[in-house]
Amino acid sequence: MHKQVLLQRWSNMNLEELEKQVQLQEDIQEIEHLQRTYGYYFDNHMWQEIVDLFSDNAESVEIIDHGLFYGKKGVRRIYWDMFAGGGKPRQWPAWEQWSVIQIGGVVDVSPDGKTAWGRWQTWLTESLPLGAFPHNEWSHGYYENKYVKEDGKWKFSKLHWNDTFCTPIEHGWLKNAQLGWMPLPDADAPPTAFHPYPSGYHVPYHYKNPITGK
Amino acid sequence: MATLEELQKRIQRLEDIKQIEKLQRIYGYYHDYEEWEKVVDLYSDNAESVEECDYGVYKGKEGVRRYYIDLLKGGKDAKPRVGYMSIGMQIQGVVTVDPDGRNAKGRWYGFFVEARPILNLHDGELRQLWAHGIYENEYVKEDGKWKIKKLHFFLNFRTPYEDGWLKTPVVGHNGPDMNVPPDAPPTNFHPFPSGVHFPPHFKHPITGK
Amino acid sequence: MNLEKLEKQVTLLEDIQEIENLQKLYGYYFDYSMFPEVMGLFSENTDSVEVTGHGVFRGKEGARRMYEAMLATKRSGWIFFEIMQSQGVVDIATDGKTATGCWYTPSFECRPFGGAQRQTWQFGIYDNEYIKENGKWYFKKLRWSLIFWTSFESGFLKVPRLTDDLAFPNADASPTAYHPYPSRYHVPFPFKHPVADA
Repeated sequence: MHKQVLLQRWSNMNLEELEKQVQLQEDIQEIEHLQRTYGYYFDNHMWQEIVDLFSDNAESVEIIDHGLFYGKKGVRRIYWDMFAGGGKPRQWPAWEQWSVIQIGGVVDVSPDGKTAWGRWQTWLTESLPLGAFPHNEWSHGYYENKYVKEDGKWKFSKLHWNDTFCTPIEHGWLKNAQLGWMPLPDADAPPTAFHPYPSGYHVPYHYKNPITGK
Repeated sequence: MATLEELQKRIQRLEDIKQIEKLQRIYGYYHDYEEWEKVVDLYSDNAESVEECDYGVYKGKEGVRRYYIDLLKGGKDAKPRVGYMSIGMQIQGVVTVDPDGRNAKGRWYGFFVEARPILNLHDGELRQLWAHGIYENEYVKEDGKWKIKKLHFFLNFRTPYEDGWLKTPVVGHNGPDMNVPPDAPPTNFHPFPSGVHFPPHFKHPITGK
Repeated sequence: MNLEKLEKQVTLLEDIQEIENLQKLYGYYFDYSMFPEVMGLFSENTDSVEVTGHGVFRGKEGARRMYEAMLATKRSGWIFFEIMQSQGVVDIATDGKTATGCWYTPSFECRPFGGAQRQTWQFGIYDNEYIKENGKWYFKKLRWSLIFWTSFESGFLKVPRLTDDLAFPNADASPTAYHPYPSRYHVPFPFKHPVADA
């Protein structure tokens, strides 16, 4: 009888451990899904869908040198008011296009399973206006994003995209690493970290070295 | 219905795959920032070798150290060069874990945007380059952590931004370095347009071949 | 918390991993023109395949016709393509038997155009369907929509396409979604909104 009780306890403990392991893999998978979906929505100007990927308690959004936007209010301001033109019918010229390819996520979930960090990089091809003229550009950047789990779903808590370079394709990053960006007038604060190539700036890692732990 | 043990094995395999993907991506991120010591730390102390492009084979953990610190970094105390950049995006990783759960292999595409000299690794004016190639790596699990056992990067092209792979498939590769020589000559340097394929490690998921 | 529920969850995670693998393997086999290996990834009950403007090819037999035309001839070393499978978003249906996948493919190529050798940048998007049969995942429907296919020298703004992709003569039907840049066509996403529709 005693042995049976012990075996049952061992089994329950292992079931609990297993559940934790399964939960962690699910969390990582869901966060990768969330980030990649953001990328597809961004490329297709699906701004309301993007706003809906953010927590109502979102911390902030910071994209290149557009400045810092606080809270869910800030999320709405940058994606909806600015990028989406407030939802007013807006015809993007057909030649204007960007693809922000989401590559290589390193996702770490906190031990309590409620928050997480992700580092990603992005390769971009785009055609955008600069002044009166369309420009074709290559661009690269890094994300260090924070996610939060609410009501069983993962959402963005903080998004920070750092620009490495944005160059006209006629030139290349060595000749001209920055073109066509601008701070947005309605930001809550200036950008915290706009240091494109060739500054040598390193976007800090959210994680420690997986082997040495440093 | 699966038993507890079976489920544990299955979830362990998924965890292992995710850990290895993470390891490889972190390798990429450290590489992007020339954090060579951190890169070396991702390798097992029983590492087999590292071989990239036509630099040759550097054997064991000692070889790994010589490759990243002496050769790529240019010496323990060397300072990074202003304007130097080599961003290598790790894409399309396919990871296969052995049934013993202790060894694994991974194939990745490496897509690079660079600003670096082409006379050799350190001298001369910076040139902007596109580079592409394939990793076929081996990993080992030690003390519960996955580490790199063997890294092999097969160069496809390294071309000036102004030219493209058709015009100028390879620049900056003139064989193994004389000052930090490898332990063995390159085994597999067949860039574009040789048409030589770098065979994948994985078996076909349906036919098993 | 019970074993049965956990098994369902583990199976779902395995399914996603297997499908991501399937798609990436397809990419590696395709790039090396490994025609039999590519065919081996398709279900015997394949719906259709469609790649850029080549037209719709129905059933596994149709898929064989299309891939044979694209991959089965030996080619010189200077002809190559690398279609990098990226940003996969895989959704499994609740019954665990079918799934959808959305992927980007930043790519570069080198091939003949008319009489000339050309190096090109290419970009496209998949919206694919997969099916689980006998415990393994296969392609059920593959559709790759071209976004741009431009010369290395020009970039897609100046030259969105070097040529128009005409339907192969042995296609079963005209292409369903050949609207490359700058058409503003957006391939409808196969995935649900992860927060609003989850």
